[in-house]
Amino acid sequence: MTTIFTCKDQFDDMMTCIYDAWASRLGHSNIRLKAEPVGNLELFCEYRHVDSDPEKTASVIRSIQKKISPYAYSMIYKAAMSDQEDKLDAIYRFVVAGFHYGASVTDYLQEPVVMRIFELSRKVANEAHYHREFIRFANMEHRILVSHIEPKANVLTLVAPHFADRLPSENWMIIDDTRNLAIVHPADCDYYLTDLSQKEMDRLSQKTNDPFVELWKGFFENIGIKERRNPKCQRNMLPLWYRKHMPEFH
Amino acid sequence: METAACKMTLQEKLNILADAAKYDVACTSSGSSRRGKKGYLGNAVSSGICHSFSSDGRCISLLKILFTNECIFDCKYCLNRSSNDQPRATFTPEEVCTLVTEFYRRNYIEGLFLSSGIMKSPTYTMEQMYQAVYLLRTKYKFNGYIHVKAIPGAPEELIARMGYLADRMSVNIELPTTEGLSKLAPHKKPENLVKPLRQIQDGITSHRLAIGKDPQMERSNSSKYLPHTIFRENPYRRLPSGSDPVSVHLPASARCQAHFVPAGQSTQMIIGATGENDLQLLSTTQKLYQMYDLKRVFFSAYVPLNEDALLPAIGTAPPLLREHRLYQADWLLRYYGFHAEELLSPERPNFNILLDPKCDWALRHLEYFPVEINRASYADLLRVPGIGTKSAGRIVKSRRGGLLDFQHLKKIGVVLKRAKYFITCNGKMMHRIPIKEDFITRQLIRTDSKKNWEIEHPQTYRQLSLFDDFHFQSEITMEDSHKSILGQL
Repeated sequence: MTTIFTCKDQFDDMMTCIYDAWASRLGHSNIRLKAEPVGNLELFCEYRHVDSDPEKTASVIRSIQKKISPYAYSMIYKAAMSDQEDKLDAIYRFVVAGFHYGASVTDYLQEPVVMRIFELSRKVANEAHYHREFIRFANMEHRILVSHIEPKANVLTLVAPHFADRLPSENWMIIDDTRNLAIVHPADCDYYLTDLSQKEMDRLSQKTNDPFVELWKGFFENIGIKERRNPKCQRNMLPLWYRKHMPEFH
Repeated sequence: METAACKMTLQEKLNILADAAKYDVACTSSGSSRRGKKGYLGNAVSSGICHSFSSDGRCISLLKILFTNECIFDCKYCLNRSSNDQPRATFTPEEVCTLVTEFYRRNYIEGLFLSSGIMKSPTYTMEQMYQAVYLLRTKYKFNGYIHVKAIPGAPEELIARMGYLADRMSVNIELPTTEGLSKLAPHKKPENLVKPLRQIQDGITSHRLAIGKDPQMERSNSSKYLPHTIFRENPYRRLPSGSDPVSVHLPASARCQAHFVPAGQSTQMIIGATGENDLQLLSTTQKLYQMYDLKRVFFSAYVPLNEDALLPAIGTAPPLLREHRLYQADWLLRYYGFHAEELLSPERPNFNILLDPKCDWALRHLEYFPVEINRASYADLLRVPGIGTKSAGRIVKSRRGGLLDFQHLKKIGVVLKRAKYFITCNGKMMHRIPIKEDFITRQLIRTDSKKNWEIEHPQTYRQLSLFDDFHFQSEITMEDSHKSILGQL
């Protein structure tokens, strides 16, 4: 019989889940891990929900960084932000392999478990990079910059350090519309992650009347060379689903 | 004229001067890495960041504008030449600064790309540009990326001062040969173009030596494993650099604060306006990299804009595939350790239209193949078509942990449809493939023909219709399609 450990889709919970799954001593091949929502239940499986525990979380993170490498930890973190169903199990298998091979495990792409983590983290890192490029801030009252995104992976914490370094003395926030989460950065202070209520979301999605949006649209129109028009290349570089919140495409 | 210019809105100016700048290709924001500072706006990321892609599929990274298009020069190929009847505009330095900072805050751009037509004199133009950039760095506290064109003929002191404010500077060579230049750009003297190139290079070298770095600019990280790059085997090198560039770390207090053109310099050549062949273009490119230690050489497929007996007629399609082949070759020079003489020869001075330069080279050198994936050196792996710097690096690292097979290669990112003719894994090829030039050529041409056609014809398909006149020049807009649905046409 297989035991399936489940937990909330949050990084801390996932790390605790890995701890408990390991400590259960049921054998790696007899267990699976899954982030919630669980979806369809399987027959002949026992489900165990795990709640986050700061000590266990810290201990897992510490062992990954020490016994594998900080680079492996960053791969695991990115993979944990993914929207793929098998991510938590993939992380667990990778950690098992990592404790065996040590720091060089991240190079061994011929191992299926390493390849999977590599793919997951690359996908999330690419999406985060796209958002660094294509996030657009709207200038609200009192020079507050507000941006809305609808990412597939949970990229907020991956893009925030970039903007904190870039706009240290501006008030800005990036809102994840699908998860109702936001990064808030008051000028000259540290940023933080917070949940938003529906009322706050509505207030922050108001349209603004910004002259620079029109200037930008004019620039965008004029910078393209008509003799070289190539919408297919444009779609390749900037897929359509990113354009929803980009003013130059509306 | 003066009053008309004053009444122009910022929007009109921006439209005119962005339109005038669009033929400049160098819109990269790479090569500079700088952390943000409290109270300042912006940072610089070494890989560069593209913020949007225009309708022609080119990246928009910087606010690419001319300071003015009121040019006194009359270069034959240029839209802004003085003999053309064009709407003209000039920014004020303050306007440039507001646009840059406000766009930057909204994450529209990565910084400023400032070029200019020549108004009054090169010196006056450069002064105006300097003022804009100086204000941007001081009053507006802008810490992002700035790329400035050095105006040939401007005084050395101005160019040197600009170098301390900008991340990258560039001088456009425009045409690869002096004959072409004297024919098409009679106001531009070759020695005037080369002088600022040399001056900026000297500035960069002395700054690098002063902060304890190797006099040569850094190249891609992987190129240190390549023994024969054009940068190592450089007959034009003026200062010796160690075979392994060693940086001396100075204490922070000893380092000078202002950096001089940290992202290096670049240049641009027009292709297809005059009769140069690819070998001339690529040799010039290689020479520029070696003599002036440029970071990039850009190519721009010539779009005919002016009626002139010396130039291709208006309506001639820009040579996009040729431009693509040159960029592919440029990458082979900078990242793959190829030399221009290896890719082209006086007997075959132009690139093969049907095959990319690396496949073309491999087919003429089948004696090097097949390459054994599990044993070949990094440099040999890079010479295989279908293996790039990333996949070669992954192969070299992962094979320490065990043997690699074709399934692994596919996941690692090797393009097997090209590579399979040139490699073995554990002594076996993927299929039974004869290593014969004509067989492999035939196979590879079939793989690439569709892609090549698309590069040359980027905007072709259109629904056949009874009512459209196919010689109509105007484009079909959104409104037209609405009208046609509503039956108003």
